[in-house]
Amino acid sequence: MARTAGAAETAPTTYAWTIQAERLRVRAGRRMAVDGLHLAMGSGVHGLLGPNGAGKTTLVRALATVLRPVGGTLALLGQPVNGRVDLRKLRQVIGYLPQEFGFYPRFTVREFVEYIAWLKEMPAPEVPGAVQRAVERMGLADRADDRMKTLSGGMLRRAGIAQAIVNDPQILLLDEPTAGLDPEQRLQFRALLRELAADTCVLVSTHLVEDVVAACTDVMLMDAGRLVFRGAPADLEAAGSGPGDGDSPAERGYAAILRRHREQAEDAR
Amino acid sequence: MGAVSPLDEEQLVRLIACGDRAAFDELYRRTSPWLAVRLRRRCGDDELVAEVMQETYLAVWRAAEAFAGASVGGSAVGWVWTIAARRLVDALRRRARDARVPPVALPPEQVVPAAEDEALRATVGDEMGEALRRLAPELRQVLQAMVLDGLTVRETAVLLGVPEGTVKTRARRARIALREALS
Amino acid sequence: MRDDRAGDRSGVHVPAELLDRYAVGAAGIAADALWAVEAHLESCAPCRDRLGEAVHRRSPATVVVLERVRVGLDAAVARSGRMPARRRRLPGQAVRWAAPALLPRLAMTILVVLVALGLDLADQMTEGRLPSLVLLLAPVAPLLGVTAAWSRGLDPAHELVTASPRAGLALVLRRTLAVLAVVIPVLAAAGLLAGASPARWLLPCLAFTIGALALGEVIGLHRAARGLALLWAAVVVAPSLVAAEPPVLLEPASLPGWAALTIAVAIALVVRRDAYTVLASGR
Repeated sequence: MARTAGAAETAPTTYAWTIQAERLRVRAGRRMAVDGLHLAMGSGVHGLLGPNGAGKTTLVRALATVLRPVGGTLALLGQPVNGRVDLRKLRQVIGYLPQEFGFYPRFTVREFVEYIAWLKEMPAPEVPGAVQRAVERMGLADRADDRMKTLSGGMLRRAGIAQAIVNDPQILLLDEPTAGLDPEQRLQFRALLRELAADTCVLVSTHLVEDVVAACTDVMLMDAGRLVFRGAPADLEAAGSGPGDGDSPAERGYAAILRRHREQAEDAR
Repeated sequence: MGAVSPLDEEQLVRLIACGDRAAFDELYRRTSPWLAVRLRRRCGDDELVAEVMQETYLAVWRAAEAFAGASVGGSAVGWVWTIAARRLVDALRRRARDARVPPVALPPEQVVPAAEDEALRATVGDEMGEALRRLAPELRQVLQAMVLDGLTVRETAVLLGVPEGTVKTRARRARIALREALS
Repeated sequence: MRDDRAGDRSGVHVPAELLDRYAVGAAGIAADALWAVEAHLESCAPCRDRLGEAVHRRSPATVVVLERVRVGLDAAVARSGRMPARRRRLPGQAVRWAAPALLPRLAMTILVVLVALGLDLADQMTEGRLPSLVLLLAPVAPLLGVTAAWSRGLDPAHELVTASPRAGLALVLRRTLAVLAVVIPVLAAAGLLAGASPARWLLPCLAFTIGALALGEVIGLHRAARGLALLWAAVVVAPSLVAAEPPVLLEPASLPGWAALTIAVAIALVVRRDAYTVLASGR
């Protein structure tokens, strides 16, 4: 079907990084969960690791624009999100899967994803095709018309990812996307991530180190509101050379970096 | 020339939505040659084309009711193309991911005008037609992907195997060239 | 090559020679002709049929592709087995207007109104001294339903809704409208029977509804609704019942004051509307 290509669509990109943050501070409740974070992300799959309470979910929420930063700067696709901004256009090209993925049990998968597509203000004629495509990409084509309460945990998670990708977003934020997926499903999920890496900026926040190493083009480690490590998965593994806790080089690297960072913080005090 | 069945494609889709297998077969019979030819002109890999077509028609079978419900003055054939184009892009992405090879090359284009093409000039318009023919092939490919095939910048980048920035630059240059030719 | 069915406007169809070359995948077609052919074929069924014939006549490679697709497709459709699903329109449409978990709250509200009506009628039949309970409750009646309009606890997908482009005042107002559309007619009907005309409570009702939404931007919708309801109960309902006199605030003379209040809270609502695009902090 022919369509017109608007001038805005073909204007040259004026920004260097898809997601860029400097000295970012975001509050969660009373805590400053993200405290002075620097970030620059482009296309590719970026893994975000960190212990509980490190501020990962708060950071992902800030990137999804559901939490406003209280300090520092944050720019998505070149557009700053501080202050009073109309986020509608930006949110139309973002996909988000929250850690606590809530769904409507009596809705079918298709109905739910269509509802999210409506919330994302996708043009109505495009919605059925986009929903079918999202559902097929997540391997839920056979269950698309079953009610969500009949799905297993892994399938629900996949439905959650399907709603995140239904609008073919430029920024995809996944908070614990592999929770409840069996190993085969995790493999399929990693394949999907690799597929998206070419033209999408994907952030996968997880505590499963193996997922990150297998599918991500770079890894970020967060602790106490700041990034303490950024590099390729191989660098993470290299940091863990020598004996230590963890069953894999990546896990040892993770533990080693955390330990080193905390020791340095202690010394600084 | 075979007789054209009285049902048009939109009606067929509505029947498919009710589970009518015969209507599905009829839609397939009527549209698959056209889809195959069009897809083969965008992708040199016949195996990939077959895969994409299979996924497309399967999607039509499974989600016909949703499509029928959203028929806002669109044509069924147009939807089939939209599904196919997106599936082609997805398949190319998967290929690129798996084999780390660039997406399959397009069949070569040579611009050689022929006399018989006169008859269709009316639909394109002389000046526009002239401008299209004079456009550099890579610019025309981008225009074709974005305007005729309805793909976004990112999808066009995957289809043509070039970076997004290149797609945007070429689209802008194409538009400028056409505007100059038409003024 | 003539056909009555839709071709393009000029009634021109693709010449046979060109169609053959297109079918075969020939490289030598001029750019504008190729564009015109493809655009035309998308809307012209007879030309597609002719293309099909040309393909079978002249392009064995394409026929091979078609064969392969046919085989694979038959298998896949047989595997998929089920009939394409019947579409249920209601849930999809309903959720665009009403928040989930609205139904129980609406039911509760209606129940409360009916109980109030019952008490009023009983009172009328005995002494008729107490002011109408329906009238006293009317301004805060929608608040129970309004809390469902934007609630982390009541909407499982609240975070997704908040993160979406459509999140914002318009969506909250849609959902509130759904509440009012049910509660106000019920109140009007009950009021008719209990002698509480809408003219007295409609404006206060709106003021409280908008006020709760506006206050909710600051302290959260649940707390705002609860607080306002309690405030009204303490300041107006209880004294009025105790003194057995209709409340001053619901007299016709107070209406201009209510109007001004409604406008003021409406402005406040709009000013801080960004609150309905973010997650409330602290929870």
